[in-house]
Amino acid sequence: MPSIRWTRRRMLAMGGAGLAALPLGLATRRARAQTPVSLQLSWLHSTQFAGSYIAQDRGFWRDAGLEVALLQGGPNAPVEPPVVSGTALIGISAADYTAAAVAEGAPFRIIGVAMQKNPFAIASLPQNPVATPADLAGKRIGMAVANTPVLQALCTLNNLDIGTIEIVPTQYSAQPLVAGEVDCLLCWETDLPVAMAIQGVESQTMLLADHGYALHSQTYIATEDSLTNRRAELVALMAGEVRGWDACRADPGAAAELTLAMFPDAGLDLPTQELQLQRQLPLMFSDLTDRNGFGSWSDEAVAANIETLGLLGREVTADLWDRSILDEVHAG
Amino acid sequence: MTRADRLGGGRFRAGITAGVGLLILLLLWEVLARALSGQFLLAAPAEVLSWLNAQRGLMTRALIQTLANAAAGFLAGNLVAIALAGIAFVWPRTERPVTGLALLIFCLPLVATGPILRVLLGPGNGPQIWLAALAVYYTTLIPLLVGLRAAPASWLDLVRSHGRGRWAELIHIRARAALPYLFAGLQIAAPAAFLGAMVGEFTGAERGMGVLTIRFIRAMDVPAIWALASVAAAVSILAYASIGWLARAVLTEPPPVILAPPRAARARRWSGLRQMLMTGGLALLLWWAAMQALDLNRFFAKRPGDVFDALFLAPDAGAMRATLGSALLETAVYLLPGYLAGLALGAGLAALIVLVPPLAALAMPLAVALRSVPIVTTAPLIVLALGRGAAGTTALVAVMVFFPTFVACLHGLRQAPGQIMDVFDSHAAGRLSRLIHVRIPAMLPAFFAAARVSVPAAILAVTVVEWLATGRGIGSLMALSASISDYDMLWASVVVVAVLSVLCHAGVAALERRVLRRYAPEQEEP
Repeated sequence: MPSIRWTRRRMLAMGGAGLAALPLGLATRRARAQTPVSLQLSWLHSTQFAGSYIAQDRGFWRDAGLEVALLQGGPNAPVEPPVVSGTALIGISAADYTAAAVAEGAPFRIIGVAMQKNPFAIASLPQNPVATPADLAGKRIGMAVANTPVLQALCTLNNLDIGTIEIVPTQYSAQPLVAGEVDCLLCWETDLPVAMAIQGVESQTMLLADHGYALHSQTYIATEDSLTNRRAELVALMAGEVRGWDACRADPGAAAELTLAMFPDAGLDLPTQELQLQRQLPLMFSDLTDRNGFGSWSDEAVAANIETLGLLGREVTADLWDRSILDEVHAG
Repeated sequence: MTRADRLGGGRFRAGITAGVGLLILLLLWEVLARALSGQFLLAAPAEVLSWLNAQRGLMTRALIQTLANAAAGFLAGNLVAIALAGIAFVWPRTERPVTGLALLIFCLPLVATGPILRVLLGPGNGPQIWLAALAVYYTTLIPLLVGLRAAPASWLDLVRSHGRGRWAELIHIRARAALPYLFAGLQIAAPAAFLGAMVGEFTGAERGMGVLTIRFIRAMDVPAIWALASVAAAVSILAYASIGWLARAVLTEPPPVILAPPRAARARRWSGLRQMLMTGGLALLLWWAAMQALDLNRFFAKRPGDVFDALFLAPDAGAMRATLGSALLETAVYLLPGYLAGLALGAGLAALIVLVPPLAALAMPLAVALRSVPIVTTAPLIVLALGRGAAGTTALVAVMVFFPTFVACLHGLRQAPGQIMDVFDSHAAGRLSRLIHVRIPAMLPAFFAAARVSVPAAILAVTVVEWLATGRGIGSLMALSASISDYDMLWASVVVVAVLSVLCHAGVAALERRVLRRYAPEQEEP
């Protein structure tokens, strides 16, 4: 979409933020024959996206003629707008957010699934554990009120009355659990429990995915327009992701070290990044990905996702998932 | 402060009290941190220092990044404010539309503007600079407009008797009269710019103190969180103090007695309404034109028509209005008490400091720190002290409102005319009687300017607290809407918040006119 890029340049010139244009300009000149594309990440840099860093570092994309910019996410950086507007070719989202955006008219398709198992978990302390959904009854759970549908879905799937659980609206931090303000937290398997472990607080987690909550996460989304008109770039970008993540699985330690080396200003530390990756890889690889390759999914998984999305109030069909890009990647 | 103080007599004593104040603060901090150890809430000063020492490279790079963005935003925002004030003054007809639009833009919530700025400006520092500028321009514009009117009628008569026009009046008299107010605005702006730049980094910036804050809060790295907070506070205090020092160096003359003839009350209700409608229409036009000109995708950049459709014509419009209404009600419950408490606290503390000057050494750093430390850092502490219910949220709103009021009132109290203070000196009148008879009436224009500026500040505060801490009300609704791509709801919330801000602002302004007609007739708009 050339018109948008032109507008952005003009805005930069007008906004006195000319500095921001500098790295862009340099990158384009050095790339010459390369096609510049952006991948919008869903959160701050960390080993959560280690596969992409490996692809970048080892030139998987460069060799395929792509100059990829990895756009960092953040608490006030939704993934959908840059993808819809063409600023980013691919965004990293999750099936529920994608379904919501599609319901609002965004022409998205899921073209790859990084996390086969949803990373949502209930974290608790060993002296007052939540090991099964039934343990939730009578507990105080710290979570964002916005995630109430997630808890409701878990309750429905496990025949629990959500009224027996006391929801305490908290910031996304393990502090209320450690301070005893709540009995458990709704969080990701890969962040707050890791923070507690690094701070020397022992905790345990119950993955929602192990109790019926089937929802693809860290999904790659692209617009239908890109799927029609920018296929070669999509295939090249996803091919790099697949190779990057396979390399990450082969040597997680090197991936963690690379993450730290690439982002020295991000305030990362090696033990945290290693532990995060160690807890994340099992969510990303399974017998299915061993058979069909990283990022793939089965029809049964899609059916289960549609069911969970229904519990979350999202009606979607299997057309939301588009296998054609990954098929080309794994064929070629 | 007596005239001798103003001329530099008490500088040394002030230095000592400032040192003692800082020491007391550090001591209190240490005691509190020890009491709360094991809760992962507060790190002691020693832990903070050792973290800073170990991570000085990381911290310096982050500080330089954020500080540069904050400085650029501070400069841009204040220049725009000065330009707008000049325009509004030279062409008085433009004052209402200019201040009205400025208010509307100031009220736009970060949750909505952040992602749009990021899409427009791409990776880099653009959104951080813009958000820092947006955080400061209004709090400079309003005091400046007040200051431009704070000139004695006799001086103006002198200019007019020489046959000079409005330009000469602006440059020779009003610009000078406005200086103390400009400095007050700049002091309020300094911590706001820093906080704006930090929050701007939430939109996906690569580096900076905001990025580190998010990281360390999730990592529960308490010494790191408080190290960031301390550095943010220290930078803001330094900026605040430097502007204050500059103000004292420049403003050596005691403030004049402002005598102005009272104006006859005119029937202005209808003209006010007409102006408001005009401003509203202009805002809608600008909104639409900006979206069209920048060719922003309708999926997330809704136009006025889209929001109208969603609110009134769509099949689920009723449900949408109900959701908005109940969120708004939840917000209002915290907003009003927090706003009033913040105003009372700000004005009260300013008065107390005038009565007992050494208190300033203790109160000033704390006040600046409270304003510059991101609410994500302090919120858990306040929540611990006051709970997650109404008290906690109200207190957080009060904290955000308190600072601009406090600074403006302190400046206002110091605008007590020198000659009148001399009269009271010669009668050996005490501090209290001077406060009541001279200083408070002199403070009123500044107080009301602060009360008006604080309306959007309070609304922004409550939405940020709801977004980040309590998960209720309209702030939480906006964050939720953005996360599930319900941009109709997000924009409708933005409109509702903006209209609410403007209405509350109009209410305060009406009260202000009644009071100032008596105490500061020069402030009435011509």
